[in-house]
Amino acid sequence: MKLKRNLSAATGITLIAAAAFAHGGATGIVKERMEGMSAIAEVVKALAPMMQGTAPYDRDAVRSGAATIAAHAGEAMTSKFPEGTGGAPSEARPEIWQDWETFTGLAQQLEIFAEGLERAAENGVGGMPAQGGMMGGQGMMGGQGMMGGGAPMMSAEHIGQMPAGMAFAMVSQACTACHTRFRTEEK
Amino acid sequence: MLALLRSAAILAMAGGAIVLGLVFWPVGTPPAPIELTGDVNRGAYLARAGGCIACHTDVASGAAPLAGGAPLKTPFGAFYPPNLTTDPDLGIGDWTAEDFAKAVRQGISPKGEPYFPTFPYPFYANFSDQEIADLWAAFQTVPAVPEPSPEHEAPFPVNQRWTLKLWRAMFLTRPETDPVDGRSTAWNRGRELVRGAAHCGACHTPRNLAGARSRDAAFSGNEDLPGGDTAPSLRPADLRARSWTVENLAFALRTGLMPDGDSFGGSMGEVVQGGTAFLSDADLTAMATYVLDSD
Repeated sequence: MKLKRNLSAATGITLIAAAAFAHGGATGIVKERMEGMSAIAEVVKALAPMMQGTAPYDRDAVRSGAATIAAHAGEAMTSKFPEGTGGAPSEARPEIWQDWETFTGLAQQLEIFAEGLERAAENGVGGMPAQGGMMGGQGMMGGQGMMGGGAPMMSAEHIGQMPAGMAFAMVSQACTACHTRFRTEEK
Repeated sequence: MLALLRSAAILAMAGGAIVLGLVFWPVGTPPAPIELTGDVNRGAYLARAGGCIACHTDVASGAAPLAGGAPLKTPFGAFYPPNLTTDPDLGIGDWTAEDFAKAVRQGISPKGEPYFPTFPYPFYANFSDQEIADLWAAFQTVPAVPEPSPEHEAPFPVNQRWTLKLWRAMFLTRPETDPVDGRSTAWNRGRELVRGAAHCGACHTPRNLAGARSRDAAFSGNEDLPGGDTAPSLRPADLRARSWTVENLAFALRTGLMPDGDSFGGSMGEVVQGGTAFLSDADLTAMATYVLDSD
């Protein structure tokens, strides 16, 4: 009996350790922002198959999911990155604080795109969006905006007119843009 | 003793002769004149697919497109993707279409020097004359940027360009981009892109001690990318085990989104943002069809 209790205590400790490990041992504000990122990832994971045509489209799920993303983006996100909170277990690169304006710009972009997706939910998924730019007869530099991470700021109202698939692609691209620039990938 | 010295001298002279031979050994072949008219948009599309813009643009520093990229820090040194704008002195503005063809398909500079294989020219070897003409036309539209390309930082003997001639003789093979009978159009188009322009194997295939791709381990992943990055296996079974499908992989190449709700970062993020995000649905689906071997 005692052995059994010890065993379950050990299991409990192992589980706690495993949970801590999943967050890389992060605590405090670093843990908070990781949880915010995870909340976004969960929504995005659930919505992606609808946008890829492999799950039935659910406009309410898209609407509420988009609201969740928006709630974790922008100021809500950047306020969890006070200076001096980089370094392991955080994956935040020092460039965040060297280029704070770009970082906050991308977080704000994510918020606007997510608000746009929320409005676009009722438009249905539409086709998979093409990027345009390069194909628009503007020569080599047609896609310049994309590359600079400084695409002209669109309003949520404007994005709200688009098919939800396109708005969702913009949200996803905002994630990639910021992670490429500001997250370490070193294992 | 004297005999020993004499043999040493002969050996040294023979070694010197071999090096001299290598230094003056002409590599590559003069390309036939490129007389076709290029299409700017088709060329720009190919420049996206080929990663020209992604690699030769230093986005993080806010530099102008194609004015030179961030260095690739490899075990052989740091290599700087040079300025490819139309600046006549610091870019490629004074090149001919034939110079360009030889550089892209053969990896030989207008001066006859071999390029380091950080430039993925081995993947571009099967580009048609039309594709070269298209690319060349697109590069003519790039505004000149008077930005010098930094010298590569490679130690001896890597910095001796003649050693690359040996490398080429030992490791350079043509890309396997030809269509395979009995496979779908999408699969074959995917093969052409994945093994050609998009040069997926440059990162997703491990390299040997000489920095050449291990042919028997094609697409099995690479733990040791420049800058400490890693590239996972692209083999069909491995991709499926990580929840990839044709649909979500094509979407990932458009947006960077992965099946677990996370997104790419690092060099794959750059590949998507500067390259594959601009490709057509049909081409992205073709690439996914080919790597998942799902036609």
